[in-house]
Amino acid sequence: MNPKAAVVVYPGTNCDRDTYYALELAGFTPEYVDWHGDVKGYDLVVLPGGFSYGDYLRAGAVAAREPVSKSVRVYAERGGLVLGICNGFQVLMEMGLLPGGLLENTSGTFICKWVDLEITDTDNPFLSRFKQGGKIKLPIAHAFGRYVKVGDPNVALRYVEDVNGSDEKIAGILSEGKNIFGLMPHPERAMEKLLGWDYGKNVFLSILDWIRGGNRVV
Amino acid sequence: MPQTYHFMIDIQYKGNVRDPRGETIRKVLVGEYNLPVTSLRIGKSVNIEVEADSPEEAEAIVRKACEELLVNPVVEQYEVRMI
Repeated sequence: MNPKAAVVVYPGTNCDRDTYYALELAGFTPEYVDWHGDVKGYDLVVLPGGFSYGDYLRAGAVAAREPVSKSVRVYAERGGLVLGICNGFQVLMEMGLLPGGLLENTSGTFICKWVDLEITDTDNPFLSRFKQGGKIKLPIAHAFGRYVKVGDPNVALRYVEDVNGSDEKIAGILSEGKNIFGLMPHPERAMEKLLGWDYGKNVFLSILDWIRGGNRVV
Repeated sequence: MPQTYHFMIDIQYKGNVRDPRGETIRKVLVGEYNLPVTSLRIGKSVNIEVEADSPEEAEAIVRKACEELLVNPVVEQYEVRMI
């Protein structure tokens, strides 16, 4: 039986179908869970990208206070695997599940392009199929991706070049327990070579390996 | 009898957080209009009315709104002013 993955959908989320497709391609059985729902019982929870609540007030701020987010908190605190992509990363930060802030790019513009990234942590459920220090390409598409560092986060992914003014070129971080991963680039948009590169696939396959290895927590 | 109290909340990035919007606007004021603007930071203001039995209670409600949702204390700071 394929592991079950929840794709959390808020009003304004717009990468939910891409994420569903990517999860299915990788070997998960995905299901949508909307903002009223509960993520209990899934093997993986993904907060996809988009513009939840139109980015009103701050990106991710309103979504972070919705009922489903409260269930994500319970799930994460029990050690469940949570992947936050782009707006999902912003939601996790607003929830306080990952440290720091995500503010407007220093360019003042929305940036949509493929970027080079360096893998800086592979000893985690999300990036085990990559090589430490390995270089990959993933697309970014964000206006609020400038990571403001607070404390000493577990950095898993860095931009090779400065793209948005992030402190220390940080593109993705892990929680202290490494069961929560947030990143601005979009692995779900890099699943097939036909569309450029397929480095994103190894993110989902790494998670699958981890779950199949009997590391189920929730 | 509860009364309506009116506040302005001023929200700004903390001093150590860069404000690219403010930097850009400052450059325009200096470059295009030759104005000696040495610092400019753009924040948000929230115009808010609450019902309470006293000014103190009203301010406490507004501060709670800031702490629960309106302000992200990781990167922002705020001031409350009754008007």
